[in-house]
Amino acid sequence: MRKILALVMALAFVLAACGSKADGGGTVRIGWAGSPDSLNPGVAILTESYTIFELVYDSMYELNLDGSFSLAAAESVERSADGLVYTYKIHKDIKFHDGQPLTAKDIKFSYDFYGAHEDFPYMNPYTQYFETVEAPDDSTVVVTLTEAIPNIESQLVYLYILPEHIWKDYAEGSAATEFDNLEMIGSGPFEMVEYKQNEFVHLKANNKHFLTPPKVDEVIFQTFESQDVLVQAIKSGQVDMIAEMPATAVETLKGDPNVQVVSGAPFAPTVTDVIFNQVSPENCPTDAGGICTGHPALRDRNVRLALDHATDKQKLIDVVLLGYGTPGVTLIPDGLGMWFNSSIQGNQYDVARANQILDDAGYKDANGDGVRDMPDGSRPLTFRLNWPSDSVDDPRVAKMLSEMWTQVGVKVEMQAVDPDALTAQCCPAFDFDIIIWGWGSDPDPNLLLGVMTTDEIPTGSSETGYSNPEYDALYKQQSTELNLQKRIELVWKMQQIAFDDAVYVIPYYPDSIQAYRTDRFTGWLTGFPKLELTDVSSLVVIEAVKK
Amino acid sequence: MKRWRYLLGKIGWAVFTVLFVLVLNFFLFRVLPGDPARAGIHDPRLKKEAIEAIRVRFGLDKPVINCFESLNPVKFGSCAVNPLDTQFFIYVKNLLQGEMGISYHTNRPVANILAERLWNTILLIGAGQLLAIFIGVIFGVFAAWKARTSIDYGALIVSLLAWSLPTFWLGIILLFWGSNHGLPIGGMQTPGMSSQPFFARAGDVLSHMLLPTLTYTIVYMGEYMLIMRSSLLDVLSEDYVLTAKAKGLNTFQVLKDHALKNAMLPLVTVIAINLGFTMAGAVQIESVFSWPGLGGAIYEAVNRRDFPVLQGAFLLIAVAVIVANLIAELTYAYLDPRVQSE
Repeated sequence: MRKILALVMALAFVLAACGSKADGGGTVRIGWAGSPDSLNPGVAILTESYTIFELVYDSMYELNLDGSFSLAAAESVERSADGLVYTYKIHKDIKFHDGQPLTAKDIKFSYDFYGAHEDFPYMNPYTQYFETVEAPDDSTVVVTLTEAIPNIESQLVYLYILPEHIWKDYAEGSAATEFDNLEMIGSGPFEMVEYKQNEFVHLKANNKHFLTPPKVDEVIFQTFESQDVLVQAIKSGQVDMIAEMPATAVETLKGDPNVQVVSGAPFAPTVTDVIFNQVSPENCPTDAGGICTGHPALRDRNVRLALDHATDKQKLIDVVLLGYGTPGVTLIPDGLGMWFNSSIQGNQYDVARANQILDDAGYKDANGDGVRDMPDGSRPLTFRLNWPSDSVDDPRVAKMLSEMWTQVGVKVEMQAVDPDALTAQCCPAFDFDIIIWGWGSDPDPNLLLGVMTTDEIPTGSSETGYSNPEYDALYKQQSTELNLQKRIELVWKMQQIAFDDAVYVIPYYPDSIQAYRTDRFTGWLTGFPKLELTDVSSLVVIEAVKK
Repeated sequence: MKRWRYLLGKIGWAVFTVLFVLVLNFFLFRVLPGDPARAGIHDPRLKKEAIEAIRVRFGLDKPVINCFESLNPVKFGSCAVNPLDTQFFIYVKNLLQGEMGISYHTNRPVANILAERLWNTILLIGAGQLLAIFIGVIFGVFAAWKARTSIDYGALIVSLLAWSLPTFWLGIILLFWGSNHGLPIGGMQTPGMSSQPFFARAGDVLSHMLLPTLTYTIVYMGEYMLIMRSSLLDVLSEDYVLTAKAKGLNTFQVLKDHALKNAMLPLVTVIAINLGFTMAGAVQIESVFSWPGLGGAIYEAVNRRDFPVLQGAFLLIAVAVIVANLIAELTYAYLDPRVQSE
């Protein structure tokens, strides 16, 4: 047995030695804990898929690490005076990986393709403002909109350009969703070599890329099923970079001279929110199945404000995220860069102040059981507190909130709920008091701001039932304001209103934590407002370390 | 004739059980709370219309089955619905045509996913089981033969220890050890090997298999050794063994011709049951070593409410357990002819 073991191990060593021989630009091995769900942009849902799309496909714009956009496949753009017609000039020398030229016709085909399939969960909504897409010649694309929207960049940035000569056979019906696209012919800086679901994605450099030819030869994304194994993999040198890691492992890796740990606001902004059911009886969407059983106290701004003051956000960050996060203010996370209203100072953690607010508003503990009661004494301030059962952090957040809020005489009844059952309870049913949840979002604030509008109460997007005519008016105004500075002002004002009304308690904006080996590749983009080492911007500039 | 009737009876029961599992599988997952079209995604971009369109694509807009309107929480249809237009009969029809459907999660045919994953699992489990049986039986025989000596006690302690080790813990310990000795700790092949010659590829897979197989072997070998030992001890105390010894047969002959065959019976049962269940039961080992096997596929499918993959995988496991049991019973009949006449 020992001999066999020794033999196999010797073989493994030989193979490992073969695998790591340095040739030219080198192979970047990236470890991550996920795997794309599909290589078909129409049906893909997981972020891992989009990471690969960004590398293999081009689109009209590129999202930069500071949250701004720059032109990619287009070399210039002109907007009509009414803001409805965008005319793009396309780079002339773009080629797909199979050698075919990329022309305006491919772009028109792709946009029409995404627009025609309503069951493309993410791609289809990005085409919702398209009236027509035309390709008058090979290098011109004219997009005509139904509304003068201010954020055309964020609509086009994820609409990847597909080769018509391949996809035209899969454009209709179920073929469009069942096409697995394993060859994945795109035009981006990297080409697909081989994809094994839940094992690896193997890419090689497209040295002829018109904009950003990579300096490395190959990139491999390897799936490890747990984040702890990822840490072990980078320590032992089996991977050169890890796209995610648990905060608990940061100290271990910091002690390793060859590993650099980096953290920052994630590229795809995320926010954790504590949702108060504050829908008023007149706004209850009964036609859409609303039953609106929320505790009446939560409709009172004073109660929500007091709970925000009673929440020690820094403690939540220190305990749940081990310090890797920033205290939350409103639904718009700091990862949204210029859209984030940095002038708002969040509410201080102040139990005395919170108690004062509740006392002044008439919520007294009438029966002496330690829990405050409604001013009319009708019911105690006992709230149902739910969270999705698939969350790792939420149970701890719930427990800590429960302890913190007890100090101001508020009691919660905690219960984890299956995420889909929670959706059914939440919106538009409004059959809850308080939910801990979160959002993933676009680089543009429009969708997250829309969550708090009155119009979204019956659709199920509004989770609080918050309704404020002034806010709604500002939302409409910003969604057609073409001047960037003016739009930023409007967006900031909306955040101020939402903050003043204490619509949510936002515990924190979590950071993402990544690590790379300093002895393998150099030039990783860090120090930007957002952090994402797997983004194309980093992978096209890194170089092998000269030994 | 008797043997044939016994065989047919057993096979008949097996087929009946598979049919039962097939129906149960279908309804079991639909009682779960959760919406496959939404799959727990909380994103403002995911619009109601898109969810509705996805539901139509998956066929979830159709009633589950006709005639059982009152059996909530499952959404059943009324009797007026054409049975051929219900999810259940579409499922049965597809299955009869040999189709297992399209995965909700990956939009790939379930049969392809399962075939891929099953082969990976069989490779890992097969190697682990063979090694475990081989080592376990040899140790067991040795310990029984040298009963109540220090060799026996030593083997006993090692086996008990190995058997009681939590699988994932042992896996993680071996993973740490292996990663410090240059062994691959994740996946089943090095990316980019597919263009290499066969032997290089096989060697690569072998090196990836080493740690997970070792974990599996250690955990199961203890069990086999203990069963083999106690079963052989029983047999060795029988009169006919004494007779055999008295006839002057040597140790090897006694073991081979008189004791082993009888002592194998309990072990065959355990192996058969293990084989069936470990098809899915290697989840822990698979997840520690990121092995792309069946267990991982099931875990993922549960999270995404991927009904077609779940149905397919559970059917596969049920068939595996039933077939393994069938084989065990038939092996019994061979090892102990008395079984047939009962």
